[in-house]
Amino acid sequence: MSEEDYTTKITREDACLNRTADDDEDDDEGEEITAQKVLEFLETAWTNEMCAPDILQHQSDMLELMMGQLAHMEENMKDLDKNDFRFVVHQMELERIRYVMASYLRCRLQKIETYTKHLLNEESTRSAEEKRLSPEETKFAQEYYENMEECFQQIALQYMPNTQRSEADQRIVRPNLMSHVFVKANVSVPAVVVGVDDEEVDLAAGSQHIIPYQLIADLIQKHQVQLI
Amino acid sequence: MSKSNKMFADKAFELVKELQRSSQTIPPFDDDGVRQVLEEIKAIFEENCAQAANYSTSGDRTLWPLLNFRHAALQRNKRCLLSYLHQRLQRIKALRWEFGSIIPADIKTNLCEPEVTFFNKYSKSLASYMRSIGDGQGIDLTGDLRPPKSLYIEVRCVEDFGKFELEDGEVIYLKKNSQHYLPRSQVETLVRQGILQHIV
Repeated sequence: MSEEDYTTKITREDACLNRTADDDEDDDEGEEITAQKVLEFLETAWTNEMCAPDILQHQSDMLELMMGQLAHMEENMKDLDKNDFRFVVHQMELERIRYVMASYLRCRLQKIETYTKHLLNEESTRSAEEKRLSPEETKFAQEYYENMEECFQQIALQYMPNTQRSEADQRIVRPNLMSHVFVKANVSVPAVVVGVDDEEVDLAAGSQHIIPYQLIADLIQKHQVQLI
Repeated sequence: MSKSNKMFADKAFELVKELQRSSQTIPPFDDDGVRQVLEEIKAIFEENCAQAANYSTSGDRTLWPLLNFRHAALQRNKRCLLSYLHQRLQRIKALRWEFGSIIPADIKTNLCEPEVTFFNKYSKSLASYMRSIGDGQGIDLTGDLRPPKSLYIEVRCVEDFGKFELEDGEVIYLKKNSQHYLPRSQVETLVRQGILQHIV
């Protein structure tokens, strides 16, 4: 839980830190989306990923933007005096963003390693734009799965009777999609079906709920709610 | 399986329990145990085959429960064995995150051949994944493991390391028992490798 506490703290601090960062670099933000927006987006993605039992849509584009931004900020900071207060603050800020990104990707990797086969199967049924894993992650998942199977095969399975060998399907680990999560509604969402009897609940904007993940999974995708 | 107080799959379960109990980074691969389990599986399977053949000729339905029981025992053996292997792979994976792409020699002796292969392949695909993030810019995910609290940390040198160059080109000399105040991001790896000690 301590990591969670940290999350909320860092978000708030970052918001104000970043404003100063943006002021300094106003000229290089010709695009519609500001660095701060990207960061906020990534932070939401990060918290969502941390709390969700299943893997969520990958955010490669945002990550790429942020990394470019980081490189840029680093470049800008070269001119600053090392003992300047602004340098210290910005450097700290960079470290934090880097942590958020690394932690986010690590969290995804962990899910990929746990649910490898399940995720790969799911991915193969999705169309190109719905893919949850980035191409790099897919590659990693495939390699990971093959390596593990090969290890099993060499140590144990090849010595077992024939009928016992090909039961890899029994070993698929699936996430528990009905595990409960804490959510906060970003906008008001009317008539969310909860429970087995088609019971419906209206989520007011800003309200918080505990609810099985699967019931609100699509709302996360649409950014109508976020996990906390 | 004539030993009176021994049950099917005991040995396999033992493997799993032993591994769970051990506090070592990774205990030696139990070659003997694994072989015994595999032999048990084979023995049960052969017995079952013989009896299944018997069943199909004689149609003796009393054999049916026994066949089922043996099959269940077989499945359990297999399951325990594979979870033993899987659990070990989890620990091997942790090695990669802790020590980097080379396994320390004393730990390597505890691994069996296919496990070493697994480590190397895992290490390779992890490295190529990390390089490919963000359209080839790459992030080292094994760094930044904890939320940063401060830019600089106080470290003490545990062993003689020699020269160490910082990102800004400054070269410092890491001598045993010397104390330094260094940027956290740059010395994190050394701390994890145990060359430097973080003084809180």
